[in-house]
Parts: sequence; C-alpha cells; structure tokens
Amino acid sequence: MALDEEQAHQTDEAEGDPAKSPETPVAPNPDRLAWMNDTLEWGIRAQPGKRGLTMRDLNIGSYGEVPESSSDMSRRPRGAFPISGVPRTDLYALSARVDLWADNAVDLYEEAIQRRWMGHLEIAWDEITPQPYEVELAMRQLCTELAQQASIETDLIGQWLHKMNYAYHEVKTFLASEIFDSGRHYTVFRNRALHNDGSLGLESAAQFNRRMMETRPGWTEVAMFLYLVRGPLTLLLYRCGEAYARNRADKFLFRKCLEDKARHMAYGMAHVKYAVENQPEGFGQGLGNLMRGVERDLVRDLKDPVLWEALAIIIGGSVDNIAQGMAVVEDVKQRYIEDYLRRMQWAGVNKTEDNLSPDLAAFLRREETAPAGD
Amino acid sequence: MATVDSRTAYWEQAREQGFDLSWLSKLQEHVAGEGVEEQSANDTGRVQGSIPRGDVARFGAYTFRTKSEVWAHNLSKLYDEFITRQWSSATDIPWETVQPLPDDIEAAQCQLATFFTQVEFVASDVPGRFISTMSPDYQEVRLALLAQVMDESRHLDVFRKRALVNGGGLMRMTDSVSDVVGGSTDNAREFTEFSSRLHITGEGNVLTLFRLGEMMAYNEAEKAIYRRCAQDEARHVAIGVLHLRYMNEFSPERREEIHGYLDEGESRQATGAGGENPAGQNQLTSSALAMLLGGGKDKMDEGQKILMAIRQRQTKEYFQRLKSAGFDDRIHNGRVSPVLLEQYKAAA
Repeated sequence: MALDEEQAHQTDEAEGDPAKSPETPVAPNPDRLAWMNDTLEWGIRAQPGKRGLTMRDLNIGSYGEVPESSSDMSRRPRGAFPISGVPRTDLYALSARVDLWADNAVDLYEEAIQRRWMGHLEIAWDEITPQPYEVELAMRQLCTELAQQASIETDLIGQWLHKMNYAYHEVKTFLASEIFDSGRHYTVFRNRALHNDGSLGLESAAQFNRRMMETRPGWTEVAMFLYLVRGPLTLLLYRCGEAYARNRADKFLFRKCLEDKARHMAYGMAHVKYAVENQPEGFGQGLGNLMRGVERDLVRDLKDPVLWEALAIIIGGSVDNIAQGMAVVEDVKQRYIEDYLRRMQWAGVNKTEDNLSPDLAAFLRREETAPAGD
Repeated sequence: MATVDSRTAYWEQAREQGFDLSWLSKLQEHVAGEGVEEQSANDTGRVQGSIPRGDVARFGAYTFRTKSEVWAHNLSKLYDEFITRQWSSATDIPWETVQPLPDDIEAAQCQLATFFTQVEFVASDVPGRFISTMSPDYQEVRLALLAQVMDESRHLDVFRKRALVNGGGLMRMTDSVSDVVGGSTDNAREFTEFSSRLHITGEGNVLTLFRLGEMMAYNEAEKAIYRRCAQDEARHVAIGVLHLRYMNEFSPERREEIHGYLDEGESRQATGAGGENPAGQNQLTSSALAMLLGGGKDKMDEGQKILMAIRQRQTKEYFQRLKSAGFDDRIHNGRVSPVLLEQYKAAA
C-alpha cells in the first residue's frame, strides 16, 4: 500500500530529527523507492503535432478522462497516482464539470500563448501624436472606460479562479491566460489615456460592474454576464476604436485587444452553452429570468451620456460633429442589443425580443443610419 | 484648429441640442495626479487616477487599501519584463530531443514533474485570491501578481507535458504540500505574510533548483524547461524581495512581525515540513532528485551528496535575499535557524 510506505518513510525520517542534526547522505532504502511503481499509466506517450506539444495532445488515455465531478479537494493533478489520507487543501466550490467546463478551453489556452503581444514594445507609441483637442479628451474617456472594464475582469476572475477544482486544469490555465490579457488591456488603455501628457477620464457608470462583482450563485452566471452581456459591448467598442483610429498605433492597439477579447468570449459562450445543455431542464430559462433585473442595470449604463458622447466625438471628429457621431453611436447600441440577443440564444438562454426589457427593446426599434465600423 | 472661443461656442451649441458634455469640462480641468495614495478610498473599482463620479454604488470592499500593506518599488519595470519574457511550452521547448531514458531516470523525472505540476498552481491560485481583494489603486502590485498567475499556469502545463511525453506519465501525488505545520502559503490572509512565504522561501528554494536544472536534465528539452522556469521564478522571487525591502524601509514597526513569518519559513525549510521544497529532507521528491543527480537508482549516494550541496546553495541564496531585503540582522543575531546557519557556513 502506498500509504503505508509513505508513513513508514516519514517515521524513519523523524527518528533522525534532521532539524537538529547535521545532514548526512542517506543510504537508499528500497522502501523509499516504492513511488517508482506508482503510476496509473506507464508507457503512454503524448506526441507533438504541427503546433508543437499542446495541452490537447496530453489528453490521451486516462489522462484525457475529464470527470463529471470531483470530490478531490487536494491539488492532485488529473491522472496522478492517488494516495489516501491526504488532508484537504481547500474547499473547491466549483467541483462539477458542468460548473465551468468548455471543450475549447484547452485550445484557447494555447492560442492565448501563441498570440501573446507586448503593448509597451509593439505599439508605436511615438506615432500617437496629439489629436484634435476634443478628440484627444474623448479618447482619454474611452480608454479610461476600457481600462476599468479590464480591471473589473481581473477582479472577477481572481474571485473565482481559486474556487475551481484541479480536475479541470484546462479551464484554470485558460482563465489564467485571460487574467493576464486583462492586465495587458488595462495597461495599454491606461497608458493610451495618459499619452501626450494626458490624464484619465471619469470612472465608469459601473452599474453592471457592480452586478458582476456581486454575483454569487456560480461561475456560469458570472460567465453569462462577463462574456454574453459585457463581452459584446467591449467587442463593439474595440471595433469602433479600430475603425475610427487616426493612426496606426491606435489601430493596432484596438485590433490586438479585439483578438484577445474574441478568444475570451469563445470560452465564455461555449461554457454557458455547455452548462445550459448539461444542467437540469429549465436552467437556460432561469438564466433568462435572471436577466430581467440585470437589464435595468444595462439600461442605466446605456443611458449614461459620458461614454457615448465620448464615442460620438471620436467618430464625428469634433464636438461640432457630435450629432453625426451620435447617430453612429445609436447604431452601435442597436448592434449591441442585437448581438446580446443572438449570443444568448446561441447559448440556449431564454432571451428574445419578446422578453427583453422595454427600455432595451427601444434600442432595436430604430432605423440604422450608418455603418458601425465592422 | 479650433480656438478656445470657437470651441466654447460649439460646445454650447451641442448642449443646446441636448448633449451633456459636463464630463468634457471635467476632463479639461483634470490633471494626472502624482504618485499613489497612501490610503485608497477607491470602492468602485475605478482606474487609479480617474475622476470619481460620486454617484456610483460602492461594491469594491477591498481588504487591502493601504499602500504600505502591499507596495514595492519598481514593479512596473518588473511587469514589463513579465510581458516581454513570456514563452510557449508547446513550441519553445525542443520536445524532439526527449529520447527514451532508463526506467529509473524516467520515473524520477516524472515524479519530479508530477510534484511541480501539483505545486505550481499553489502559486497561481493564492496570488489570484489576493488580486481581487486589493484596491485597483495599487495596480502595479496586481499586475505583477496576475503575471505570476500566468507564469505558474505555464509551469503546471510544461511539467505535465514533460511527464507525459516520454512514456512515464504522472507519478505519485505529493501529500506534504498541505498544512502539516504552521506557516502554509495557502492559509496566509495577510499580504506580507503570503509574500514572505511564497516568494521569499517557497519560490526561492525552487528557483535555486531550477537554476541547477542542467544537473537534473537528460536532454535539451529538460534543460530548456528548467532554464525558462528559472527566469520566471526569478521574477516571482523579486516581487517578494522588493516588497520586503519596501516594508523594511517604510514600515519598520512591522519588522518583528515579519521576522516571525521568516521564522516559520525557515522552520519549514530546515525540516522539509510543509513540502514546498522538493529538495528538502523527508521529501518524496528528494529521492527522485538523488536518482537524477547521481545518474540512476544505483548511484543515489552520489546524488544525495549533490543534493546536500543544493540545499546549502538554497540557504546561501536565501541569506542573500534576506540581505537584499534588509532582514539579514537575523543571520548575525542568533535568530536564524541553526540548521540553515550550519548549511550556510558549509557552503561558504
């Protein structure tokens, strides 16, 4: 028994009291080498593929068997030889596959690493010369908002990551890459706001930030908020930033963030869909019902003028042209709500125009005036 | 270009059309603040230096809202290095150089890799927990920690890959990383306590081992793994040294408390208790290391001698960190662990 061997090993060592006696080389004890036989699958070989040796390549044999739930509260790596009598390390609240899983997390993790970029070196900061005064102020406001969105994302993932069971290391490592991305997004947007002797703008209206941070039922609910509700808005803001950028550096910055965000949303959407398909019937209905209250927060944020007026100035090119810019912004808002509905429905959440908050539905019932930069 | 007068005129026109623009005036008046506040009143998750609105609900409830609790100088530079030196376990390790090894060597390498797969994420989960409880006004600290979370994930990943690439697989889980004695990283609720345990002691010991990776490696892939992980670990250790240095300079009233944390860390290091140090005595991994260092199951005596020298070097480097952080008085005033002092003298 592995446990007996482990205990015998500890007893032998305790007699020597290494804390008090000088170290001497210990002769090999045959019992101490029992671990050499402790493997569940000797002989299995992961093969590197065209993209190197990826995490997916490791999911072979029993190592690829992802459990539906795990009662293991140690940090035993999936597939490592278990021993009994190990005290619990933590109480992992998310110990069921359905609570966090997405099949694509393993590939998205590798993609995050392959597509890493360096804001302080790859952005040609010296090309960002001062723009027309009001556009520069508006840009600072937009970047302040986006930096705060990134910072809240960091907080959210930080709140939940350590609650996730080690059986699902693919998700944990992917979310680690996302938290790293969010740090980079924060940094580049803050630096962009401060560039050209700038300063930061007003903090976010934050109703929805608060909603996400205060969500307690589970990661799936947070994921729905972060990836299906906030995510489409962030994506659209990045798209606008890229489309209306006045220099290559800004364009590059927004495009790279957009690529990262698309990856985050790919995980989030896949997870919510997985949860809806694998939780008991009615789960998707429940998520939809949850949105009734949340949509009030969304409406409040959408009606707050600061972000939208800033965007209108960037698009219009000046305060003088803010009305023209705002016409495009209204299209952006409409696209946001359409995208929100589309993504929720794709994931199986009961959210349609019929059960949408009337205040949000109002954004849909208008004639489009101009392209929103995609 | 618009003049101030013309600007005022069409701002007024815009307001007459129903636009608010009050935020634009606030931005115009706002100048970037100097430095970081000693006390953070940020309860709304706003970006450090942004303009508070006053009408936003407070939801931050950050536990850490005092600069002296978390701060360190030069973390921005360190963060840039984190960004610059990222690498890929899929493509930056020459996996093709891993060739079949004798069973005992393969098993030892896999046992060590299993250990690192298990413990590296301790250093990911725990910093992650601290990030979300720290005011965004201290974003430099948060950035360094979240970059560490990324690094540790890659370490988990690369060691799992090493275990599975050459026919060995994952071996026995480690049971000694749980809290069998006081002073575990997991249980720390205070940032300096956490950092002294994780960065100064735990990762410091692992850093020494990774730096000596050439001695445990049997192919270029393993050398690359240890070399790259050592570069990462050096940054993590730097977070702790920079923080302790700051504490020594700006919170001298906490020196005695910090010495208490170091007492606990040294106790774990001297006895191998707690299990964070794979080279520590009483460790499942120490026999695997002796096998790798000696060159096989039948050469473990030689390996044990090298392992003893590695422990001495771990202590030597730990003492260097104490000196760098300003806590080396414990080396000279009799407070340091006698076992470690003996190792240090032997290494001199």
